[in-house]
Amino acid sequence: MTLPGQILRGWTRGQVALAFLVLSAAIACGLSIYSSASSLIGLGRAAFSVLFLPLLLSLVLTFLLDPLVSKLEKLFSRSGSIFLVYLLTLGLLIQSILWLTPHWQEFWQNLGTDFPRYIARLTEFTKDLMAALHSRFPLIEGYDLPLKVRLWGEQLMATILAETPKSAMKVGGLLILVPLFTFFFLRDGRRILRACVSLAPNRQFEMVHDLSYLVSRQLSQFIRGRILEAIIVGLVVAAGLSLTDIRYAPMLGIFAGVTNLIPYIGPIIGMVPGILIAFADLGVGGQFWWIVILYILIAQVLVDNFILIPILISRVANLHPLLVFFAIIIGGKLYGVIGMIIGVPIVSTIKIAILEIRTYRRTFSLPESAMEGDRPA
Amino acid sequence: MDPLWSNIFRRKLEEDSLAYFLSHLVIFAELSPNELRLIEGLAHKRNYRAHETVFEEGEPGTGMYMIRSGSVTIYAKDAQGQEYELTRLAAGDFFGETTLTAPAPRGATARTNEPTELIGLFRADLLSLVATKPEVASNILLGLTRVVSERLQAASLEIRRLHHQLGQLNTTGKIET
Repeated sequence: MTLPGQILRGWTRGQVALAFLVLSAAIACGLSIYSSASSLIGLGRAAFSVLFLPLLLSLVLTFLLDPLVSKLEKLFSRSGSIFLVYLLTLGLLIQSILWLTPHWQEFWQNLGTDFPRYIARLTEFTKDLMAALHSRFPLIEGYDLPLKVRLWGEQLMATILAETPKSAMKVGGLLILVPLFTFFFLRDGRRILRACVSLAPNRQFEMVHDLSYLVSRQLSQFIRGRILEAIIVGLVVAAGLSLTDIRYAPMLGIFAGVTNLIPYIGPIIGMVPGILIAFADLGVGGQFWWIVILYILIAQVLVDNFILIPILISRVANLHPLLVFFAIIIGGKLYGVIGMIIGVPIVSTIKIAILEIRTYRRTFSLPESAMEGDRPA
Repeated sequence: MDPLWSNIFRRKLEEDSLAYFLSHLVIFAELSPNELRLIEGLAHKRNYRAHETVFEEGEPGTGMYMIRSGSVTIYAKDAQGQEYELTRLAAGDFFGETTLTAPAPRGATARTNEPTELIGLFRADLLSLVATKPEVASNILLGLTRVVSERLQAASLEIRRLHHQLGQLNTTGKIET
């Protein structure tokens, strides 16, 4: 026998040639499908990246508004209650825009003049600091920290000025898309979820259905809790700051509220601008220390840790600090600042889903080994 | 409500609609046509092939199944783990209703005998109904309670009868062996 291998024994030369041709054609087809698929995946990713933020925001908004809509649903139809909730939200939004617009313009004009001043103050401070350090550690003389701080500050200012019109465009788009998506999520969310769940095979259907219910209930509680927590912390900071002479108190409150969505790091980032402005404008004095105490002791320790977190957020969703850092870094890499804010909640939701599945399995003592144990083979 | 009035004011349920099928089940006997249409949107239509397992003993059970067409056999296991037939159910019957409100492991195995259409109603659906339409949910729960308590009564009668038989067997059976 000249042909190699057991399988090919008994094949004619023509058959081997045909098999070879078919195989190489298959490999070529596979490669071309793979390469076009990767470009398809690229297309899909590009298309999805535009939708990512509006979809995410509308999902959050859906979770937030759903209990209210469900309450109203006892009296009206589903669509009717959604319209009513929309009217209420719109009224609140218009009120707050009317209230904010004059402040906003003032804020913007002032910021243009104030920001360089704050940076100059910071540079001065670092210069003093460096002088003090130089006298003690002559080794670090070559390191020009004040210059670095000034450069960083100027860069930040430039970015803010350049990005604002761009982000205003984005916000305009979101203002149209998010309410639209939210409406359909609110109205048809259950039907969409049902349709997805019904794709499960018969044997797994019941479990998938129950799990989807349990997980979405946990998720809506978690998201609602986090957003309420952020709003209350923002309000407390804004109210506390407006007791002092500090400027931009409402803006600083909003900033503290938004950054409060990030655990561990968020509150620290949230207090930086407030303390910086207080330091530059008011100097180290009674009011400065009141602001520091407000940020750290009142908003974070007292209101957030002792009151809000125990009431609003179950400890189940607590993440290991290391996981929080990973989520923030990866989120920031993928989607910038927004990614940093939403990275942690997304990881928390994944954790909640996994935990729910685990409790579910434990409730019914589902582990495969136990199931097999009481059944003879 | 008087059937005459309900005919005038309410759209009649179409004979082949799911709501019509549901209206003939004891659990949903208390519901009006409009409420039945609501249940129609909550229930899940599932199609099974012949000899397909619906659920197996010991699996987590979270709801009930109603047979719209086809038939299902319920099996239990004896001490040796051997399956034996408990009962055969046909179109219009339902099973698994005890886990609808209290999730528990399934007490028996259900398998189809032929291509079968089952309508599933699960705890999650019922709980979401409790939140949005409490009065409809309470009507369903009433029907369910009636079915469950009727079965409980029958079961306790059966237990009493068996106890009686066992007592007789203990007194008379010992003489024979």
